[in-house]
Amino acid sequence: MTTDTTTASLAVREAASGTARRRITRNDVMMYAAILVFGIVAPIIFPNYTYQIAVLWLMVLFAQTWDLVGGQMGYNSLGNIFFFGAGMYICTVTQIGLFTDVGAYTSSSDGGQFEFSTEQYYIGVAVGLVLAAIGASVLAVMLGWIVFGLRGPYFAIGTLGIALGAGELVGAWEWVGGGGGIPIPVYPGSGDGKAFFYYALCFGTAVATFAFLKWLYSTRFGLAINAIRDDEEKAEAMGIHTLRHKTVAWAISAFFLGIAGGLFGNMTGFIEPLEVAFPVITFGIFMVAMALLGGKGTMWGPVLGAVLFHIIKETTWTYFLGWQWVALGVIIILNIMFFQQGIVGWMQEKWPDLFGIEVDRSLVADTADDRARGRGV
Amino acid sequence: MVISNRFVLAAVAAVAAIAAPSIAFAAPCGTITLGSAISFTGKYSTNGIHAKNGYDIAVKRVNEMGGVKIGGKCYNLAVKYYDDESTPARTAQLLERLIKQDGIKYMLGPYSSATTKAAAPVIEKYKIPMVEAEGASRSLFNKGYKYLFCVISTSEQYLASSIALAAEIAKKMGKKPGDVKVAMAFENDPFSLDVRAGVIDDIKKHGLKIVIDDKLPRDLSDMSATLTKVRALKPDLLLISGHSKGAATAGRQIAEMKIDTPMIALTHCEAAKIVKKYGGAVNGFLCPTQWAETLSYKGKYFGTAAEYDKLFKATYDGYKNVPYQAAQASAAVLVWKEGFEAAGSLDTEKVRDALAATKMQTFYGNIKFSKAGNNIAKPMVLRQIQDGKFNVVAPAKWASHKVVYPRMAK
Repeated sequence: MTTDTTTASLAVREAASGTARRRITRNDVMMYAAILVFGIVAPIIFPNYTYQIAVLWLMVLFAQTWDLVGGQMGYNSLGNIFFFGAGMYICTVTQIGLFTDVGAYTSSSDGGQFEFSTEQYYIGVAVGLVLAAIGASVLAVMLGWIVFGLRGPYFAIGTLGIALGAGELVGAWEWVGGGGGIPIPVYPGSGDGKAFFYYALCFGTAVATFAFLKWLYSTRFGLAINAIRDDEEKAEAMGIHTLRHKTVAWAISAFFLGIAGGLFGNMTGFIEPLEVAFPVITFGIFMVAMALLGGKGTMWGPVLGAVLFHIIKETTWTYFLGWQWVALGVIIILNIMFFQQGIVGWMQEKWPDLFGIEVDRSLVADTADDRARGRGV
Repeated sequence: MVISNRFVLAAVAAVAAIAAPSIAFAAPCGTITLGSAISFTGKYSTNGIHAKNGYDIAVKRVNEMGGVKIGGKCYNLAVKYYDDESTPARTAQLLERLIKQDGIKYMLGPYSSATTKAAAPVIEKYKIPMVEAEGASRSLFNKGYKYLFCVISTSEQYLASSIALAAEIAKKMGKKPGDVKVAMAFENDPFSLDVRAGVIDDIKKHGLKIVIDDKLPRDLSDMSATLTKVRALKPDLLLISGHSKGAATAGRQIAEMKIDTPMIALTHCEAAKIVKKYGGAVNGFLCPTQWAETLSYKGKYFGTAAEYDKLFKATYDGYKNVPYQAAQASAAVLVWKEGFEAAGSLDTEKVRDALAATKMQTFYGNIKFSKAGNNIAKPMVLRQIQDGKFNVVAPAKWASHKVVYPRMAK
């Protein structure tokens, strides 16, 4: 993908005063309130859709964490799903391993039943999620050290390889059940109770992710990773320790994805490496597609992209059975061909005032020129 | 973002409005809707569609025969389907949808052990009974699930009789069991891993020697690496399990690479339609089956196994052999029908108890569930492809033909 449109819209934003990022307007407050109210009220008004809305929050989280590295830092990772799967396995193995032998629990032939008490279940989930987050971050630091030597498409393919390789490796690891997977400990309460419990955790995690990233982008760190995206050599020349920034950004992304993995594993009730934990061609691609649809490198783009994408996906899955993938393909193609800057990126260019962006008109004329020239060549 | 939230609300409301009226239409009989999330796309789609055809033909038959009678009232059966895309990641979501949004209280299984393993915790959670016909892994039946019932034999039995057969032939030919070399290639999923576990137990029991133990790649589209090793090591027995897609790949590449192993056993031959596709090249393959139209089973809905076979071929185009995946799916619907009538109620707990006490004879064989929920009243049989026909060769009680050894490709 060419970067001309992104840099153009960026030029507009860079032209804006730095404070625009930090200032919270009345519009913002109303928006936050509306989302929080929706998040809290939704499972009460639509109790039957709790599971789908919980997945929606995870989708929002996927798009945001992808955008941190792909959008804000300009490193298009195709392997972020690795941290999702790693978190899922770390969480599950912790939930089981705290109380019984994992190898025996996952064995497909003899195995047997192990009843988790209510207390054991909640302790397992709590410890599991914490370890999932930390474990995924540690893996990100270790892998980042290796793959951040790569740039552009090489980085994309390198990370894709990590995710694909992880699925195969876990699939061959008998202690965690290999390709046979692991049935997750059963929630001790009622079905609806479980739905609400995980809904609350998904919503909470997505909100925490958003708040954290919002804060992060307002700091020097946010500016530094933007600088890396725009020109890594220059950023380095300015004294930014680029490798450290890149690794930390990826670790933050992994931290939240690890939690998401732990949650999704518990919601699904059964995990296995290829389709559930490391689903490169579904969630792994969705997170990129959602961020691009909404507008990468923006605060609200990934959120909007994820919401639209999820609604379209769930609707086509229900009412256009057999055509769902065609519909998703069409959206991605239209997006890439006509809306490279995504919905929010396009809105920012069209109505910069709405986003608190002050535009230096002379600069805009220049970038428009640049763009025309860029396209002409 | 405010607008987009309204959009969410509106979209969700619209979804609810469309979903609601799908069940209600006036008829002299009421309707009982069963639910199933099954594979219409993805790597299990071939068998997903066989299973759906099996469900549909049985639903049609039950309705033609007057439907389900509960306390003097009659009900027609119907099935609500979703596509799980052959991935267990979708199964839990779709079952939640069937249960919570569509109000389904009686479930039919998905296709494959992996998706069934994802389905089981959901139905347990909501206490919704499920009769499944396509998930055979033993790991489904050691978790203490109470609402899961399975009409088929578990997967460790699939290829076990071929090991016994190989040992027997070796003995007749004066070979030591330790000289019988076995090559294996299995898909890395709950079903095939359990088939492998069963095979390994039997190989140990008979003292055979494993020379190749490979995993098939995840999309099941190429096994030439394994077959190259087979050409070099010349095993006496080649075992393959990878659902229909794996069977189709195996049939094609064994023919292309002219593999001349004297004994080849392969799961899902019928479902992959390998005779139709590869003709003489697959002559002599051994195929384990849950059911065969030549067996002497008989029940009150479809008559004999042969009559089911005839009816199925007349109803659906393109079947040279009726795959057992379809037959067992039909059997699952029959179990539901008798379960409802035995319970005399639509209450899920009463129906569950009635299902647990099922004891019936059908065209598919006898059905009786163990405490764990698997069917213990029906054997697996082994068939060999002989001149394009599937003939039962083991176990001895059901065998109609002698096994041909070594196999000859034509």
